[in-house]
Amino acid sequence: MSEDGDSRIIGPMVTLEFHDPSGAIEVKQHFAPRVTSLQGKRIGFVSNDQWQAFRMLPLLKKLLEADFPGIEVLPIDAFPQGNAVIGSEETAAQVKQSGVDAVVIGNAA
Amino acid sequence: MTNAVAGLGLAPDAAMVTFPIEMFLPGSDISPVEARKREFYDGLTRWRSAFAADGAAEAPMIRVQSASVEEAFSRANDLMLTNRWGDGLPLWPPTRERVDWILRGAAQPRGRRVGIFPPRGGVTTIETCAIALAMAGGRPEYLPVLIAAVDAFLDPESGSAQLQAASGSAFPVVIVNGPIGAQIRLNAGFGCLGPDPQRPAGASIGRALRLLQQNVGGALPGIGTMANYGGVRYTNVVFAEDEANLPMGWATHATERHAHAPGQNSISLAFANGATNIRRRGAKRETPEEDALQGMYRMADFMRVPNMPGLAGYEHGTPGILMIPGVVANTMAGLGWTKASIREFLWEHSRIPAEHLRRAGSPAWIEIDSSKVVRESIALDPWPITASPDNFIVVVAGGGHPTNGYWLQGYSPGVVGRVLELPSTFDALLAEAERDLGPVTPGPGGRPPR
Repeated sequence: MSEDGDSRIIGPMVTLEFHDPSGAIEVKQHFAPRVTSLQGKRIGFVSNDQWQAFRMLPLLKKLLEADFPGIEVLPIDAFPQGNAVIGSEETAAQVKQSGVDAVVIGNAA
Repeated sequence: MTNAVAGLGLAPDAAMVTFPIEMFLPGSDISPVEARKREFYDGLTRWRSAFAADGAAEAPMIRVQSASVEEAFSRANDLMLTNRWGDGLPLWPPTRERVDWILRGAAQPRGRRVGIFPPRGGVTTIETCAIALAMAGGRPEYLPVLIAAVDAFLDPESGSAQLQAASGSAFPVVIVNGPIGAQIRLNAGFGCLGPDPQRPAGASIGRALRLLQQNVGGALPGIGTMANYGGVRYTNVVFAEDEANLPMGWATHATERHAHAPGQNSISLAFANGATNIRRRGAKRETPEEDALQGMYRMADFMRVPNMPGLAGYEHGTPGILMIPGVVANTMAGLGWTKASIREFLWEHSRIPAEHLRRAGSPAWIEIDSSKVVRESIALDPWPITASPDNFIVVVAGGGHPTNGYWLQGYSPGVVGRVLELPSTFDALLAEAERDLGPVTPGPGGRPPR
């Protein structure tokens, strides 16, 4: 990432070299692998019950059920809802234990 | 939402479907969910992170070339803005020489890791802090305060992981105690929350913290932070308590809140999202007792509002920081007031009648809170704005004038203290500062700093 000076300028150039201030980024864990297809899969929702999630997530559940034969979409309230609980280890354990293949999380604004 | 998951050790991207904010409002048209359903399906099946590599990706050096120093400086500033590293005000390019100079203020090795800055998850080291301080126009003797503030900021107790991204426009408030405040030219008196060429340290330190929040933490407006207004974020708030004018028998904030020994150099970090002047002095022929009491009522009345940021720190944090000038503190102390009795008064007289909470819809916020103490507080009428009087922060600071107090409305799950680590060469740094900037001017009220 560098910016060279104007090539039309003739004569000694001033060079200013400085640190990128954004710091290093570490990737310590990967996202879950995607499922190859949604057909016949078991899908869950984890909702914070905010930002119209109570309307949008049921619509998405309906769309998934209509578009993918054999899909099983768990009820929106199958897991604890609310910002205070959806990030907890307990909720994560419940999601794992449910045997879902994939999860949709919402809503943020 | 970009970067929202990087602080968890995941790559700074995620499978997301984003919509304009209008769709998230009550009564909205949610048909775009159906129109863009394929994006949801792809997120579950085909999406791949663009950051596949493990380990840490080091930030590179940047190089600009120009025909003159002025042009190179200008190009460097343009480049920092186009890379979204700036704040719109001129920046000092963090050259190796400048950063090495700033690092003379470090008591720790430059590579020592301070933490991971949320939400982006940038690795923060002593050097990263020095780079930000260089950009912000800082000096080496400011670095111990900045490092301690960053360390406190990154403490999970501070709540920064949420507040960095939240819409409530939180900004960090750093209160400095100990002799270092006056030594490095931090303001404790007139204009202590604003610009002051005689005491410029607070602006540089606070600006550097903000640059770290943005550049390392990814808190870019509308991208990494959804702060609606973002007030006071150019420099955040960094000031010293006016210890020279503390009444006899009144403890410093550091001693009261964090049990730091008197005279110890330390910082205390909380978050606020409002800043308001309160006219506390009487206008006619009040007695000293009336003047003090009326001022206290006026300040408590100002806090008695069903505004919900206080919920964040209801149990362990703070509803806010009340600043009172030394001249007022000494008058009140002469009448028998203490910091503790001020807090008790504020707690008792800022209670909100339940009916006022109900008409404002506030109980819903109380009911969904993660804290049991908050949820159970709904039974209280009038409702105290914080769980305990001890949660109020009272500091002596501000110009030597009796008319006004100042209220920094808290939005602060915790209040985090840190003792400063100074390099062995700190006295030499202060001598260099005196050579560069002239002698330190007297503190508020004309007293020399001690």
